[in-house]
Amino acid sequence: MLAKRIQPMAFQARRLYVELMFQVMGRALQAISEVDASARREARGLPEGFLFEMMVMPDGSRLIVEHVGDGRFHYHGNSAPRPVDLSIRFKHIAHAFLVMSFQEKTSVAFANDRMLVDGDIGYAVRMTRILNRLESFILPRVVAERAVKEYPSNLRLPEKLLSAARIYLKVASNFIETVRA
Amino acid sequence: MTNQYYEFFCPVKVIAGKAALEHIPYELTGLGAGRPMIVTDKGVRAAGLLDPVIAACEESGLEIISIYDDVPPDSSTGVVKDIAGIYRREKCDSLIAVGGGSAIDTAKAVNVLVSEGGDNIAEYSGAGTIKHPLKPFLVVPTTAGTGSEVTSVAVITDTAKSVKLPFSSSFLLPNAAVIDPRMTLTLPPHITAATAMDAMTHATEAFTCMAKNPLSDAYATAAIKKISTSLLEVMDNPKDSDNRLELAQASTMAGIAFSNSMVGLVHALGHATGAICHLPHGMCMSLYLPYVLEYNLETIRAPLGELLLYLEGPEVYAATPASRRAEASISAIRKLRDELFKRCRLPRTLKETGSVEEHQLDTIAEMAMDDGSVMFNPKEVTLEDARAVLRRAWA
Ligand SMILES: [Fe+2]
Repeated sequence: MLAKRIQPMAFQARRLYVELMFQVMGRALQAISEVDASARREARGLPEGFLFEMMVMPDGSRLIVEHVGDGRFHYHGNSAPRPVDLSIRFKHIAHAFLVMSFQEKTSVAFANDRMLVDGDIGYAVRMTRILNRLESFILPRVVAERAVKEYPSNLRLPEKLLSAARIYLKVASNFIETVRA
Repeated sequence: MTNQYYEFFCPVKVIAGKAALEHIPYELTGLGAGRPMIVTDKGVRAAGLLDPVIAACEESGLEIISIYDDVPPDSSTGVVKDIAGIYRREKCDSLIAVGGGSAIDTAKAVNVLVSEGGDNIAEYSGAGTIKHPLKPFLVVPTTAGTGSEVTSVAVITDTAKSVKLPFSSSFLLPNAAVIDPRMTLTLPPHITAATAMDAMTHATEAFTCMAKNPLSDAYATAAIKKISTSLLEVMDNPKDSDNRLELAQASTMAGIAFSNSMVGLVHALGHATGAICHLPHGMCMSLYLPYVLEYNLETIRAPLGELLLYLEGPEVYAATPASRRAEASISAIRKLRDELFKRCRLPRTLKETGSVEEHQLDTIAEMAMDDGSVMFNPKEVTLEDARAVLRRAWA
């Protein structure tokens, strides 16, 4: 009985976490393109006005960024001003959670068939490199904190949400620290 | 528990061995087809390879309704449209591709048009655009290398826009691959060597790249063993049909392996080199393979070391200390390349090809970085890395 009540809350927490992380990633993509020369060099290979989407199938959270030129990204939140050019779609929220909680690298998730690519594969390769770059900024400290190792099924909502929020803040502040340093 | 997860899929029936072609009529009838069209190229026809296929069908009362033998080396949207037109006019109901990569890719694309409708194959490009099973389709490979008979992708050049359109769907897979030693018996030495090294690369990359999995590993190692044992035998005795069959099977097995676990930097560099310098794919594979393995070495030491068993056999494997096996695997591949160079001048360096100029290396590196295969390379490749590998492969 208890398990039945907890499960949906755990799922809810996971969904919220992924949604938060999509926002973090979206903002971080914009930030990294402003400060990191190597990410920007990669991004320059994308056409101007190029819209990139990352989403959870069938109709879950999404993040949309636009390449506004000269390697800079603009984060559009979760709605695109026009049809996107490249879409990376997680087959299930559980897979998005693996990637967004840094348990699985984006490139590994590709190799593991966790997601689908719709669009030019060359651009997908480029975006994956940019995302890897982003992860390398974010990853070390989060892992050191051992904040999210494996999703604990016995975790109750408030605790989970709390730690999700903590991670969210930590990731955001870590990111800014690392980038500024 | 690790995060390991994989998918493995190969619904293609493999019909292999002596008199395999004679199974075509039975297979097609079983699929409810009786009016097949053959898609092939001039080279295959000139080599007389269509004769046994046609004979096998006619003897069983199965008439080949139409033969299109003008597939160019780079399959194009126009050709696909033309063939689909003939198919419809002649009221065909099934396809048999006889040939190498481009005949097979062309037939896959034709099957999309004649099954899904329309004249413009470009509309179906990308992933997930094909939603239904297509017409009955058999493939008879005439090279032992590409593995296209078991891959769910096709590449067609859009001649008007001069871009390569990728197609990806499990519906592209043929119903059956017919592997008959007669079909590769007359393959000239340098093509035999280059295509076999393509298969060798498919298996080696499948076994060492990021998406490796237990099922594709089994196919990859078995393919490597067959190629290591049979390739030089065939080079010395081109009419040795037993070893020809071994190579043909190895190519299909390597195809099954890599279509489920992808390839890496060797293919990324090879695709770019092929596009810029117009070198055959297999030649590029043979050329880059050891250099890329050396580049990846520390990331793939364990799996590469394991391959020594299949490359050199149990005696050498047992006699080599575990810590030296990965290097020994690379030496085995280098040794094989030296033997091939002796027998048919298959180039081992970019300089030896005589078709690449040193100033092109940067362009090749840049293009390789946009290739889909680079994503599955076990080590994350930077532009500098790609340049460094190319410089080592230069001479
Ligand atoms: Fe290949």
